[in-house]
Amino acid sequence: MKPAEFLSPTTLNDALELKHKHGAAARVIAGGTDLILRMRAQVLTPSLLIDLQHAALNNIKVSDKYLEVGASLTISEVLQNTRIEDLFPAIHMACRKFAGPPIRNRATIGGNIVNASPAADLVSPLIAYDAEIVLKSANGERTMPLVTFFTGAGKTLLKDDEILTQIRLPLSAASTNAYFIKLAQRNSMAISQLNLTTRLNLNRQGLIETARIVLGSVAAVPMRAMAAEAMLVGEKSSEDLFYAAAAQARQEVKPISDIRASREYRLQMTQVLVRRALLESIANV
Amino acid sequence: MFDLEIEVNGKQEQVSVEADTTLLYLLRDKLGLTGSKDGCRSGDCGACVVLLDGKTVNACMVLAPQANGASVMTVEGLAKDGELHPLQRCFSESWAFQCGFCTGGMLMSCYALLKSNSNPTRDEIRAAIAGNFCRCTGYQALVTAVEQAAAELRANNV
Ligand SMILES: Cc1cc2nc3c(=O)[nH]c(=O)nc-3n(C[C@H](O)[C@H](O)[C@H](O)COP(=O)(O)OP(=O)(O)OC[C@H]3O[C@@H](n4cnc5c(N)ncnc54)[C@H](O)[C@@H]3O)c2cc1C
Ligand code: FES
Ligand code: FES
Repeated sequence: MKPAEFLSPTTLNDALELKHKHGAAARVIAGGTDLILRMRAQVLTPSLLIDLQHAALNNIKVSDKYLEVGASLTISEVLQNTRIEDLFPAIHMACRKFAGPPIRNRATIGGNIVNASPAADLVSPLIAYDAEIVLKSANGERTMPLVTFFTGAGKTLLKDDEILTQIRLPLSAASTNAYFIKLAQRNSMAISQLNLTTRLNLNRQGLIETARIVLGSVAAVPMRAMAAEAMLVGEKSSEDLFYAAAAQARQEVKPISDIRASREYRLQMTQVLVRRALLESIANV
Repeated sequence: MFDLEIEVNGKQEQVSVEADTTLLYLLRDKLGLTGSKDGCRSGDCGACVVLLDGKTVNACMVLAPQANGASVMTVEGLAKDGELHPLQRCFSESWAFQCGFCTGGMLMSCYALLKSNSNPTRDEIRAAIAGNFCRCTGYQALVTAVEQAAAELRANNV
C-alpha cells in the first residue's frame, strides 16, 4: 500500500471542507472493509483518507415522513435497531446474511451503497422500501431515490466533493409483507450470487396496492423488475399470480457469467427465487 | 507517519506508524503481540480477530489510525496472572484445536459472545464464529468447549 495521509474530522462540516479541498485525491473511509482491500490491491491510491468515525453520521431518527438512518451505521447497529426490524424487516434479514460478526461490526450501510457492488446485500432491500439518499457537499445537499444512484458496476452519481450522509426510508413504504433472499455458496462469509427483495403493501380488501421486486447481481446495477411489479398491482395474491410475475422477472434481468455463477443459473434462479420471495412475503397474512 | 495512542490489554501505548498500516501489523510487529494471526489479510478467515472497544473486528481490516484512542483486547489479554481464562482452559480440555492458528481469533469471538450471552445455544455459538474459519480441527469440539466455559462462568457468577 502507498502511504496516505489520514485525518479524523470531528464534525461533518470539517469532513465536507476536506472533501471540497482535496476532491478525488481524497477518499472517505467508513468501515474500510471495501476500501482497505482496494488500496491493498492498488486499485485505489488516495493521497488522503478522511475518517468518518467521528463525523456524527451514526444516528437513527424518525421524522414525520421518514426513518432517517445515518450513513455510518454499521451492519451490527442496523441489526440491533428494533424500529428497522419492525418497519422494514427485509433490511434486517439482509443484515443477518451479511458476512460474519467481525465484518458486520465495521462495515457500514453507507459504504455498502457507495461501493456500488452489484452484489451489495443492503441495496436491494433499501430500494424495495423506496429509500432516498442525501448527498452533501460544502456547497449544499441533494436527495435522490437510491434506485437512480447507480450508473454501472462500482459507479455512482456521487460527485468528488460529496459525502453520503443519510438514507431516508419513507414510513409510507414500511411493510412486513417483505422478504429478502441471498443466494450464495454458503450461509456466512460469502458474496451473493444473486440477492433479491420483494415488498408488497396490501389494501383493506387484501389487494396488492404496491409491489416491489428488486434484484442484485443480475445486471451491472441493482434493478427493479418493473413489468413484473406491474402485473401484481391491483390483484389478489395467489400462487399463479406469483408464478407469472416470477416468469416475467426472468425476462427483465440481464445477468452475466462470472466467478460466482453463470448467466443461465442466475436466470433460472431469478424465476425460482422471485416466486419464493413473493410467497414468503405474504406467509404471515 | 501517524502518531497514535491506543490502549492494548489495559496498557496505554503510543506508537508511530504509516497511516495505511493495519491494526494487525501494529499489534504484531510494533507491539510484539503475535497471538493475533496473519492469515488471509482480507477479512475472510478470522485468525486476526480482536476486540476493538469491546466489539470483535478483523485486525487486518482496520487501519491503525482508525483505532486511535480506542481500547483493544487481544488473545494475550485473556489470561490473568498466569491463569488461563475458562474459555482457554475448556478449549484445551475439549481438544478444540490442533494447529492453533485459528484459536486466537476463535477465542476472541467466543469471549465477545459470552459477554453478551451467558447461556448460548450451539446455534448461537456457531453464528458467533461464522467469521472464524478452522481448517484442521473442525467445529464440534469447539462448540462444546464454549458450552462448557459458559456453564463454568455461570456457576462462578452465582
Ligand atoms: C470478508 C468480507 C465479507 C463481506 N461480506 C459482504 C456481504 O456479505 N455482503 C455485502 O454486501 N458486502 C460484503 N462485504 C463488502 C463490504 O463489507 C460492504 O460493502 C460494506 O458495507 C462496506 O462498508 P464500509 O463502511 O466498510 O465501506 P468503506 O470500505 O469504508 O468504503 C467503501 C467505499 O465507499 C466510500 N464511502 C464510504 N462511506 C461513504 C460515505 N458516507 N459517503 C461517501 N463515500 C463513502 C469509500 O470512499 C469507499 O470508496 C464483505 C467484505 C469483506 C472484507
Ligand atoms: S487475517 Fe484477518 S481475517 Fe484473515
Ligand atoms: S486448529 Fe488449525 S485451523 Fe483451527
